Amino acid sequence: MTYDASAREERGAVAESASDRTFWGRLSSWAPYQWLATFATASPRRQFLILAVFPILWVLTQHLGPMLQMLRVSLTDAYPVAPGVEQHFTFDNYLSFFGDSIFWMPFFRTLIFAGVFTFCTLIITYPVAYFLARHVSPKNRMLLLLLLLIPFWVGEIVRTYAIMILLGNTGAVNMVLRFFGLIDRPIPFMYTSFSMGVGIVYLTALYMLLPLYSSLEKLPKSMNEAAADLGAGAWTRFRRITLPMTLEGISSGCTLVFLISTGFYATPVLLGGPSTTVFAETIAGFFHVAGDQWPTGAAFAVIMFLAALAITAAFQRLMTALRKGDTK
Amino acid sequence: MSSDPLVRLEGVTKRFGDTVALDNLTLDIAQGEFVTFLGPSGCGKSTTLRILGGFEQPTSGRVLLRGDDVTKRPPEKRNVNMVFQDYALFPHMTVRQNIGFGLELKGMGKSEIAKRQDEIMSFLELTAYGDRYPAQLSGGQRQRVALARALAPDPALLLLDEPLGALDAKLRGQVQQELKSIQRRTNKTFFFVTHDQEEALTMSDRIVVMNKGHVEQDGTPEELYFHPASRFVAEFIGETNLLTGELRGTEGNAVVMDWFGNTLRGHAPGGVPQAGEAITASVRLERLGFHAERPTTANAVQGRVVGKTFLGSRMALDLMVEEANGATLKAYVDADTGQSVGEAPVWIGWDESSMAVLRD
Amino acid sequence: MTRHNRILLSCVYWAFVAYVFVPLILMVLMGFKDSNFIGFPIRSWTLDWYTGVFADTETLAAFGYSVAIAVLSTVFSVIVGTWIAVLLEGRKFWGRAAIFGMTVLPALIPGIISAIAFRIYARYLGIEPGMGAIVWSHAVHNVPFVVLVVMARLSTLPKSQIEAARDLGADPLIAFLRITFPYLVPAIMGASIFCLLLSFDDFVRSFFLGGYEPTLPVLIFAKLKSGMSPEINAIATVALVLTAVIGVWAERFTRRMNKDS
Repeated sequence: MTYDASAREERGAVAESASDRTFWGRLSSWAPYQWLATFATASPRRQFLILAVFPILWVLTQHLGPMLQMLRVSLTDAYPVAPGVEQHFTFDNYLSFFGDSIFWMPFFRTLIFAGVFTFCTLIITYPVAYFLARHVSPKNRMLLLLLLLIPFWVGEIVRTYAIMILLGNTGAVNMVLRFFGLIDRPIPFMYTSFSMGVGIVYLTALYMLLPLYSSLEKLPKSMNEAAADLGAGAWTRFRRITLPMTLEGISSGCTLVFLISTGFYATPVLLGGPSTTVFAETIAGFFHVAGDQWPTGAAFAVIMFLAALAITAAFQRLMTALRKGDTK
Repeated sequence: MSSDPLVRLEGVTKRFGDTVALDNLTLDIAQGEFVTFLGPSGCGKSTTLRILGGFEQPTSGRVLLRGDDVTKRPPEKRNVNMVFQDYALFPHMTVRQNIGFGLELKGMGKSEIAKRQDEIMSFLELTAYGDRYPAQLSGGQRQRVALARALAPDPALLLLDEPLGALDAKLRGQVQQELKSIQRRTNKTFFFVTHDQEEALTMSDRIVVMNKGHVEQDGTPEELYFHPASRFVAEFIGETNLLTGELRGTEGNAVVMDWFGNTLRGHAPGGVPQAGEAITASVRLERLGFHAERPTTANAVQGRVVGKTFLGSRMALDLMVEEANGATLKAYVDADTGQSVGEAPVWIGWDESSMAVLRD
Repeated sequence: MTRHNRILLSCVYWAFVAYVFVPLILMVLMGFKDSNFIGFPIRSWTLDWYTGVFADTETLAAFGYSVAIAVLSTVFSVIVGTWIAVLLEGRKFWGRAAIFGMTVLPALIPGIISAIAFRIYARYLGIEPGMGAIVWSHAVHNVPFVVLVVMARLSTLPKSQIEAARDLGADPLIAFLRITFPYLVPAIMGASIFCLLLSFDDFVRSFFLGGYEPTLPVLIFAKLKSGMSPEINAIATVALVLTAVIGVWAERFTRRMNKDS
């Protein structure tokens, strides 16, 4: 078959009246659509605006909006506003936090617990990530990682409940200890900071494991071999090479876990006791009672968010300084 | 149709920030031409192609297609199609669907599309692969599908962005022939962009050599090869001997130069340089002839063979010309010629038309 | 030395596996205990708790409610998230960093604070506590995950694909629908499943934004507060099996899709 340009020009005329067009052909030659498309693509600027307006409005109103509204409510004396009542601007909600030491314990407890639990999570998951990234063949790696992911698909409440069963007075741990005759009466693990820690570490381990794993995986093996070649022992190699090179993963993992830990509500309620009340419970209290305490709750939430942000920012600063110090 | 050229670029300039990618380019392309834009990366050849395709808008200047100003028209509204460097075949569509994509959007009917798909696939010997996906094809086949997809909507101008770069050397030679023959048979205008001078010489009707955003020279492959206008063209296309000397003056069409005391006569395709300046001339390696006696050619010097390299089809000789301050020349001769390395002097001669005095 | 390290580390790994699996296994086992009393040892076994779950209209209703919320919120998250990803990926414009920051913000706010902020904002917008409020809060909270996944996929789409479509006569919208969207499908599927699970598992937002009807996690929480019972284990086990199976399937699915292209 030869290529005949003149024959095609005749056919071009037939195409004009084609009635069996495909969907896309019909759409693109449909007059209203053409008009719209021409309008929308008239200039790169207009095209960009059409694409950008909705996302920008969305993030402003839906992502930033709730936080700003919470901040606004925290600075008023009444919310929701009852009819006939005037709303006033006030700092009282913030002052009530600083004025009453009853709130300080749960506040500092939350931050300290979150810090301690974050550290525990780091210590527990680092060797696991290290093992996966450095000692497992790439083929098996995904399988072993997937094995760890499965429990993390299960929800917060279900996993918290599982810890309750594990640590209860008639739970598995006590049963095993008693079976071996190590104890006569059950150890009361539950409703302590210990049970809370076990639960929170359980819930957050994955968020630490994944950043650690990816930073360890990026680390070239040859670097350790070079250090060994220069006579560095295993501990020196870890301290001088592996640890500094994975500070980035440690930093992002810890930030994430810390922020998540400060925000738990159900887990402390279920696993903790009266001596372990966290600030999340305090905040929630203002929203449960019938009284008009939302502004105070909002102010407390703002205080906690700012405190958590300040701590993570300081932590990241420290990590960056450490990283820079090592490259010098 | 009027007497308008198919494509006309009028003073097209493109700036990216502070860098000028294209500097006031003015150029006409006639219907049915195979034009190649040749140059190193960053010379502005790809920018020209993307402006023609509608992917970039010139900072100033106009682009006319058959007399219509299409400068601001988006790619989908131009009767111009492109073969991409990486082919850009749609991975989730079969060969047939890839070819049909442009036809559908032209508003053709299904039976019409099927006919055209069959036609173009048989033309490019793709009929057997219609139901395959791009991932199931070889590099050469993919290249043909990209060509078929771009030719199917019957564009006025076909743009080709280094489409042979991804092929291996052996296949490339074959595809060059194919492309040239397809261009002849379809009588389409091809706008080809490459950095490979050999590719450009093999296929083109016309080559535009670009450097730093402007045109160095615009001509047929023969013109560019034997009559380079500038040092850049002489060096970029093929191998050459560059002779640096001083301009003496002109005698009719001939340009006379002094080369370390030897008077040489050449021609100046790029225009005669200012008198008294240091100038450069180019003589292609295969244009040097060897003689036992002083030859009657316009230029003749005596030299010695100081080295030779066997290249298969021919032999490369290294020559030293003592009477020109020990300057060296290179020459290609038949592989079985008896020139041997040694002390014996030999006459080297070349014509006035073989030596191009360069601009710059 | 290295050998010892290896053995030691593999022990740590398997101990960690035990740590994450044993509590769940024990919880599942307890659902088969033939007694009202939660605790070991288990002496006799029964399936009664499970038959009870599937006969209990309250649990079934909560289950259906959670699924409906998950599906609806995922639809919103995916549409909005994909749109934002298309805007942000590979485009430079003034304020891009700020928009990206605001986009990921909901994923970084601690749970309780996010729930409170949503509670206040729902009131401000006039959304009554209940299904609408929960769907909305889940949708907003899950958008960042969709954006990150879709952006990662989009960054691997060669620019020439879109240019080729435009060149062949497609306007930007048709080029998106016919080229970009099919390319994004694996990422969108993966992100959808992730959103479904996040929503289905979420407690804190559902708790603060819910009305009288509880989602499944809220129902389990309420039951737990009034005391442990193997019935809860049976409910939790059903939820666990469902989420774990979907999670594993999604992992395999996205991996296969990524390999294909």
